[in-house]
Amino acid sequence: MVDAVAAISAVVLLAVVTMATRVGGVWIMSYVKITPRVEAFLNYMSVSVLISIVAATTWAAGPRIWLGVGTAALVMVATRSAVGAMLAATALAALARNFGF
Amino acid sequence: MPSSNQLERPRFTASGVRRGSVEIAPIAAFVIPFGIAFGVAASARGISPGISVFMSVAIYAGTSQFAALDLWYAPLPLATLALTVLAVNARHILLGAALAPWLLQIPILRRLAALLLLSDANFAHTMSARDRGETDAGILFGSGLTMWIIWIASTAVGALAGSLLGDLSRFGFDAVMVAYFTAVIVGWWKGRSDLFPFITAAAVAVAGTYFLPPGWHIIAGALAGGMVGV
Repeated sequence: MVDAVAAISAVVLLAVVTMATRVGGVWIMSYVKITPRVEAFLNYMSVSVLISIVAATTWAAGPRIWLGVGTAALVMVATRSAVGAMLAATALAALARNFGF
Repeated sequence: MPSSNQLERPRFTASGVRRGSVEIAPIAAFVIPFGIAFGVAASARGISPGISVFMSVAIYAGTSQFAALDLWYAPLPLATLALTVLAVNARHILLGAALAPWLLQIPILRRLAALLLLSDANFAHTMSARDRGETDAGILFGSGLTMWIIWIASTAVGALAGSLLGDLSRFGFDAVMVAYFTAVIVGWWKGRSDLFPFITAAAVAVAGTYFLPPGWHIIAGALAGGMVGV
Protein backbone atom coordinates (compact mmCIF):
# COMPACT_ATOMS: atom_id res chain seq x y z
CA MET A 1 0.00 0.00 0.00
CA VAL A 2 1.11 3.52 -0.81
CA ASP A 3 0.65 5.85 2.16
CA ALA A 4 -1.43 9.01 1.78
CA VAL A 5 1.38 11.56 2.12
CA ALA A 6 3.53 9.82 -0.50
CA ALA A 7 0.50 9.53 -2.81
CA ILE A 8 -0.44 13.20 -2.47
CA SER A 9 3.16 14.32 -3.07
CA ALA A 10 3.39 12.12 -6.15
CA VAL A 11 0.11 13.49 -7.54
CA VAL A 12 1.36 17.07 -7.01
CA LEU A 13 4.57 16.19 -8.87
CA LEU A 14 2.61 14.68 -11.77
CA ALA A 15 0.31 17.70 -11.84
CA VAL A 16 3.32 20.04 -12.15
CA VAL A 17 4.76 17.94 -14.99
CA THR A 18 1.41 17.94 -16.80
CA MET A 19 0.97 21.68 -16.35
CA ALA A 20 4.42 22.22 -17.85
CA THR A 21 3.30 20.37 -21.00
CA ARG A 22 0.13 22.50 -21.20
CA VAL A 23 2.02 25.78 -20.94
CA GLY A 24 5.14 24.51 -22.72
CA GLY A 25 3.87 24.56 -26.29
CA VAL A 26 2.95 28.23 -26.29
CA TRP A 27 6.11 29.10 -24.40
CA ILE A 28 8.34 27.21 -26.85
CA MET A 29 6.53 28.76 -29.81
CA SER A 30 7.42 32.22 -28.57
CA TYR A 31 11.07 31.24 -29.23
CA VAL A 32 11.23 28.60 -31.98
CA LYS A 33 9.12 26.84 -34.56
CA ILE A 34 8.08 23.21 -34.00
CA THR A 35 9.24 21.26 -37.05
CA PRO A 36 7.30 18.32 -38.55
CA ARG A 37 10.07 16.00 -37.28
CA VAL A 38 9.65 17.19 -33.69
CA GLU A 39 5.89 16.88 -34.09
CA ALA A 40 6.22 13.29 -35.37
CA PHE A 41 8.55 12.42 -32.49
CA LEU A 42 6.17 13.78 -29.84
CA ASN A 43 3.16 12.05 -31.43
CA TYR A 44 4.83 8.66 -31.71
CA MET A 45 6.34 8.98 -28.24
CA SER A 46 2.89 9.57 -26.69
CA VAL A 47 1.29 6.54 -28.30
CA SER A 48 4.42 4.46 -27.63
CA VAL A 49 3.92 4.88 -23.89
CA LEU A 50 0.58 3.13 -24.22
CA ILE A 51 2.03 0.46 -26.53
CA SER A 52 4.81 -0.18 -24.00
CA ILE A 53 2.35 -0.61 -21.14
CA VAL A 54 0.02 -2.87 -23.11
CA ALA A 55 2.88 -4.97 -24.53
CA ALA A 56 4.66 -5.45 -21.18
CA THR A 57 1.43 -6.09 -19.25
CA THR A 58 0.10 -8.55 -21.82
CA TRP A 59 3.46 -10.33 -22.03
CA ALA A 60 3.52 -10.88 -18.27
CA ALA A 61 -0.22 -11.59 -17.84
CA GLY A 62 -2.33 -14.70 -18.27
CA PRO A 63 -5.00 -15.79 -20.79
CA ARG A 64 -7.66 -13.63 -19.14
CA ILE A 65 -5.86 -10.37 -19.97
CA TRP A 66 -4.86 -11.69 -23.42
CA LEU A 67 -8.54 -12.23 -24.06
CA GLY A 68 -9.32 -8.70 -22.85
CA VAL A 69 -6.67 -7.06 -25.05
CA GLY A 70 -7.69 -9.11 -28.11
CA THR A 71 -11.35 -8.29 -27.57
CA ALA A 72 -10.67 -4.58 -27.13
CA ALA A 73 -8.64 -4.50 -30.36
CA LEU A 74 -11.30 -6.35 -32.37
CA VAL A 75 -14.19 -4.29 -31.05
CA MET A 76 -12.27 -1.06 -31.70
CA VAL A 77 -11.48 -2.11 -35.29
CA ALA A 78 -15.11 -3.09 -35.88
CA THR A 79 -16.94 -0.25 -34.14
CA ARG A 80 -14.40 2.58 -33.58
CA SER A 81 -15.90 2.92 -30.10
CA ALA A 82 -13.39 3.03 -27.25
CA VAL A 83 -16.21 2.73 -24.70
CA GLY A 84 -17.57 -0.35 -26.52
CA ALA A 85 -14.07 -1.86 -26.55
CA MET A 86 -13.65 -1.30 -22.79
CA LEU A 87 -17.06 -2.73 -21.96
CA ALA A 88 -16.62 -5.83 -24.13
CA ALA A 89 -13.12 -6.52 -22.81
CA THR A 90 -14.19 -6.03 -19.20
CA ALA A 91 -17.21 -8.29 -19.62
CA LEU A 92 -15.15 -11.08 -21.18
CA ALA A 93 -12.43 -10.74 -18.54
CA ALA A 94 -15.11 -11.07 -15.86
CA LEU A 95 -16.62 -14.08 -17.59
CA ALA A 96 -13.22 -15.75 -17.93
CA ARG A 97 -12.53 -15.13 -14.23
CA ASN A 98 -15.79 -16.83 -13.30
CA PHE A 99 -14.80 -19.82 -15.41
CA GLY A 100 -11.61 -20.07 -13.37
CA PHE A 101 -8.94 -18.40 -15.52
CA MET B 1 -15.55 35.40 -44.05
CA PRO B 2 -12.38 34.79 -42.00
CA SER B 3 -10.74 37.97 -43.30
CA SER B 4 -13.18 40.24 -41.46
CA ASN B 5 -12.68 38.27 -38.24
CA GLN B 6 -8.94 38.56 -38.33
CA LEU B 7 -9.34 42.30 -38.01
CA GLU B 8 -10.72 41.74 -34.53
CA ARG B 9 -8.04 41.30 -31.87
CA PRO B 10 -7.93 38.05 -29.86
CA ARG B 11 -9.28 38.50 -26.35
CA PHE B 12 -10.20 36.59 -23.20
CA THR B 13 -13.47 37.55 -21.54
CA ALA B 14 -15.92 36.20 -18.99
CA SER B 15 -18.60 35.94 -21.65
CA GLY B 16 -16.23 33.77 -23.72
CA VAL B 17 -15.68 31.52 -20.69
CA ARG B 18 -19.44 31.21 -20.20
CA ARG B 19 -20.07 30.44 -23.86
CA GLY B 20 -17.31 27.81 -23.98
CA SER B 21 -18.57 26.06 -20.86
CA VAL B 22 -22.07 25.66 -22.35
CA GLU B 23 -21.10 24.84 -25.93
CA ILE B 24 -18.90 21.88 -24.95
CA ALA B 25 -21.50 20.15 -22.77
CA PRO B 26 -22.66 17.58 -25.38
CA ILE B 27 -19.01 16.59 -26.06
CA ALA B 28 -18.12 16.59 -22.38
CA ALA B 29 -20.80 13.97 -21.72
CA PHE B 30 -18.67 11.45 -23.62
CA VAL B 31 -15.99 11.79 -20.93
CA ILE B 32 -18.27 10.25 -18.29
CA PRO B 33 -17.60 6.56 -19.12
CA PHE B 34 -13.85 7.21 -19.20
CA GLY B 35 -13.92 9.00 -15.86
CA ILE B 36 -15.88 6.13 -14.33
CA ALA B 37 -13.45 3.66 -15.91
CA PHE B 38 -10.49 5.55 -14.43
CA GLY B 39 -12.04 5.59 -10.96
CA VAL B 40 -12.77 1.87 -11.17
CA ALA B 41 -9.30 1.02 -12.52
CA ALA B 42 -7.69 3.11 -9.74
CA SER B 43 -9.73 1.18 -7.16
CA ALA B 44 -8.55 -2.05 -8.77
CA ARG B 45 -4.98 -0.84 -8.06
CA GLY B 46 -5.88 -0.32 -4.39
CA ILE B 47 -6.00 3.48 -4.60
CA SER B 48 -8.46 5.16 -2.22
CA PRO B 49 -11.31 7.21 -3.73
CA GLY B 50 -9.89 10.41 -2.20
CA ILE B 51 -6.55 10.01 -3.99
CA SER B 52 -8.22 9.02 -7.28
CA VAL B 53 -10.39 12.13 -7.21
CA PHE B 54 -7.39 14.27 -6.25
CA MET B 55 -5.56 12.87 -9.31
CA SER B 56 -8.41 13.96 -11.56
CA VAL B 57 -8.56 17.40 -9.92
CA ALA B 58 -4.82 18.09 -10.04
CA ILE B 59 -3.57 16.22 -13.12
CA TYR B 60 -6.72 16.21 -15.28
CA ALA B 61 -5.18 14.26 -18.17
CA GLY B 62 -6.97 10.93 -18.42
CA THR B 63 -4.56 8.82 -20.43
CA SER B 64 -1.57 9.79 -18.32
CA GLN B 65 -3.56 9.10 -15.15
CA PHE B 66 -4.28 5.59 -16.44
CA ALA B 67 -0.57 5.20 -17.26
CA ALA B 68 0.38 6.28 -13.72
CA LEU B 69 -1.74 3.42 -12.33
CA ASP B 70 0.66 0.97 -13.93
CA LEU B 71 3.48 2.41 -11.77
CA TRP B 72 1.46 2.88 -8.59
CA TYR B 73 3.14 0.70 -5.98
CA ALA B 74 5.11 1.33 -2.78
CA PRO B 75 7.61 2.91 -2.70
CA LEU B 76 6.32 5.14 -5.51
CA PRO B 77 8.86 5.30 -8.37
CA LEU B 78 8.76 9.09 -8.71
CA ALA B 79 11.26 9.45 -11.56
CA THR B 80 9.61 6.86 -13.80
CA LEU B 81 6.15 8.18 -12.90
CA ALA B 82 7.14 11.74 -13.83
CA LEU B 83 8.84 10.69 -17.09
CA THR B 84 5.95 8.43 -18.10
CA VAL B 85 3.41 11.19 -17.49
CA LEU B 86 5.68 13.63 -19.33
CA ALA B 87 5.91 11.29 -22.32
CA VAL B 88 2.13 10.76 -22.51
CA ASN B 89 1.36 14.45 -22.10
CA ALA B 90 4.11 15.69 -24.43
CA ARG B 91 1.30 15.89 -26.98
CA HIS B 92 -0.04 18.91 -25.10
CA ILE B 93 3.01 20.79 -26.37
CA LEU B 94 1.68 20.36 -29.91
CA LEU B 95 -1.78 21.57 -28.92
CA GLY B 96 -0.30 24.62 -27.21
CA ALA B 97 1.94 25.31 -30.20
CA ALA B 98 -1.08 25.24 -32.52
CA LEU B 99 -2.85 27.77 -30.29
CA ALA B 100 0.24 29.96 -29.88
CA PRO B 101 -0.38 32.46 -32.71
CA TRP B 102 -3.66 33.26 -31.01
CA LEU B 103 -2.71 33.06 -27.35
CA LEU B 104 0.53 35.01 -27.65
CA GLN B 105 -1.60 38.07 -28.41
CA ILE B 106 -3.42 38.07 -25.07
CA PRO B 107 -1.90 39.16 -21.72
CA ILE B 108 0.24 36.53 -20.02
CA LEU B 109 -1.96 35.83 -16.98
CA ARG B 110 -5.02 35.29 -19.15
CA ARG B 111 -2.92 33.19 -21.49
CA LEU B 112 -1.91 30.93 -18.59
CA ALA B 113 -5.53 30.72 -17.42
CA ALA B 114 -6.64 29.69 -20.93
CA LEU B 115 -4.03 26.89 -20.96
CA LEU B 116 -4.67 25.69 -17.40
CA LEU B 117 -7.34 23.18 -18.49
CA LEU B 118 -6.06 22.37 -21.98
CA SER B 119 -7.05 18.90 -23.25
CA ASP B 120 -7.69 17.22 -26.60
CA ALA B 121 -11.42 17.85 -26.39
CA ASN B 122 -11.47 21.55 -25.56
CA PHE B 123 -8.60 22.11 -27.98
CA ALA B 124 -10.63 20.57 -30.80
CA HIS B 125 -13.66 22.58 -29.79
CA THR B 126 -11.68 25.83 -29.63
CA MET B 127 -9.99 25.29 -32.98
CA SER B 128 -13.29 24.65 -34.73
CA ALA B 129 -14.83 27.70 -33.03
CA ARG B 130 -11.86 29.70 -34.24
CA ASP B 131 -12.48 28.55 -37.80
CA ARG B 132 -15.99 29.91 -37.44
CA GLY B 133 -14.52 33.29 -36.55
CA GLU B 134 -14.30 33.11 -32.74
CA THR B 135 -11.76 35.57 -31.32
CA ASP B 136 -12.35 35.01 -27.61
CA ALA B 137 -9.81 32.64 -26.00
CA GLY B 138 -12.10 32.49 -22.96
CA ILE B 139 -13.92 29.64 -24.68
CA LEU B 140 -10.81 27.45 -24.29
CA PHE B 141 -10.90 27.95 -20.53
CA GLY B 142 -14.71 27.71 -20.31
CA SER B 143 -14.92 24.49 -22.29
CA GLY B 144 -12.00 23.12 -20.24
CA LEU B 145 -13.86 23.99 -17.05
CA THR B 146 -16.91 21.92 -17.99
CA MET B 147 -14.73 18.99 -19.06
CA TRP B 148 -12.73 19.21 -15.82
CA ILE B 149 -15.80 19.17 -13.56
CA ILE B 150 -17.34 16.23 -15.41
CA TRP B 151 -14.01 14.37 -15.32
CA ILE B 152 -13.76 14.85 -11.53
CA ALA B 153 -17.39 13.86 -10.88
CA SER B 154 -17.24 10.74 -13.03
CA THR B 155 -13.93 9.69 -11.43
CA ALA B 156 -15.62 9.99 -8.03
CA VAL B 157 -18.50 7.77 -9.17
CA GLY B 158 -16.13 5.10 -10.50
CA ALA B 159 -13.81 5.24 -7.48
CA LEU B 160 -16.65 4.94 -4.96
CA ALA B 161 -18.34 2.14 -6.91
CA GLY B 162 -15.00 0.34 -7.19
CA SER B 163 -14.23 0.64 -3.49
CA LEU B 164 -17.66 -0.73 -2.54
CA LEU B 165 -17.49 -3.77 -4.82
CA GLY B 166 -14.55 -5.58 -3.22
CA ASP B 167 -12.45 -7.92 -5.38
CA LEU B 168 -12.54 -6.14 -8.73
CA SER B 169 -11.10 -8.89 -10.91
CA ARG B 170 -14.47 -10.64 -10.42
CA PHE B 171 -15.93 -7.93 -12.64
CA GLY B 172 -13.01 -7.86 -15.06
CA PHE B 173 -12.12 -4.33 -13.90
CA ASP B 174 -8.43 -5.20 -13.76
CA ALA B 175 -8.67 -5.36 -17.57
CA VAL B 176 -10.10 -1.84 -17.96
CA MET B 177 -6.74 -0.06 -18.27
CA VAL B 178 -5.16 -2.31 -20.91
CA ALA B 179 -8.46 -2.46 -22.79
CA TYR B 180 -8.66 1.34 -22.90
CA PHE B 181 -5.05 1.66 -24.06
CA THR B 182 -5.57 -1.01 -26.72
CA ALA B 183 -8.56 0.94 -28.04
CA VAL B 184 -6.55 4.19 -28.13
CA ILE B 185 -3.68 2.49 -29.96
CA VAL B 186 -6.01 0.93 -32.55
CA GLY B 187 -7.79 4.27 -32.97
CA TRP B 188 -4.45 6.02 -33.43
CA TRP B 189 -3.34 3.60 -36.18
CA LYS B 190 -3.11 5.44 -39.50
CA GLY B 191 -1.55 2.87 -41.80
CA ARG B 192 1.32 0.57 -42.61
CA SER B 193 4.00 3.14 -41.78
CA ASP B 194 2.98 2.92 -38.11
CA LEU B 195 3.81 -0.76 -37.96
CA PHE B 196 7.56 -0.43 -37.46
CA PRO B 197 7.42 2.23 -34.70
CA PHE B 198 4.66 0.32 -32.90
CA ILE B 199 6.48 -3.01 -33.01
CA THR B 200 9.74 -1.35 -31.97
CA ALA B 201 8.07 0.26 -28.93
CA ALA B 202 6.46 -3.04 -27.94
CA ALA B 203 9.65 -5.09 -28.40
CA VAL B 204 11.85 -2.61 -26.50
CA ALA B 205 9.31 -2.41 -23.67
CA VAL B 206 8.99 -6.19 -23.31
CA ALA B 207 12.79 -6.66 -23.49
CA GLY B 208 13.18 -3.82 -20.97
CA THR B 209 11.13 -5.67 -18.37
CA TYR B 210 13.98 -8.20 -18.19
CA PHE B 211 17.02 -5.94 -17.86
CA LEU B 212 15.89 -2.45 -16.84
CA PRO B 213 14.90 -1.28 -13.33
CA PRO B 214 11.11 -1.54 -12.74
CA GLY B 215 9.10 0.96 -14.75
CA TRP B 216 11.89 2.09 -17.07
CA HIS B 217 10.75 -0.25 -19.85
CA ILE B 218 7.92 2.23 -20.47
CA ILE B 219 10.33 5.14 -20.93
CA ALA B 220 12.60 3.01 -23.14
CA GLY B 221 9.66 1.87 -25.29
CA ALA B 222 8.32 5.41 -25.58
CA LEU B 223 11.67 6.85 -26.69
CA ALA B 224 12.28 3.97 -29.11
CA GLY B 225 8.82 4.37 -30.71
CA GLY B 226 9.26 8.14 -30.91
CA MET B 227 12.69 7.92 -32.54
CA VAL B 228 11.70 5.26 -35.06
CA GLY B 229 8.52 7.20 -35.89
CA VAL B 230 10.42 10.34 -36.95
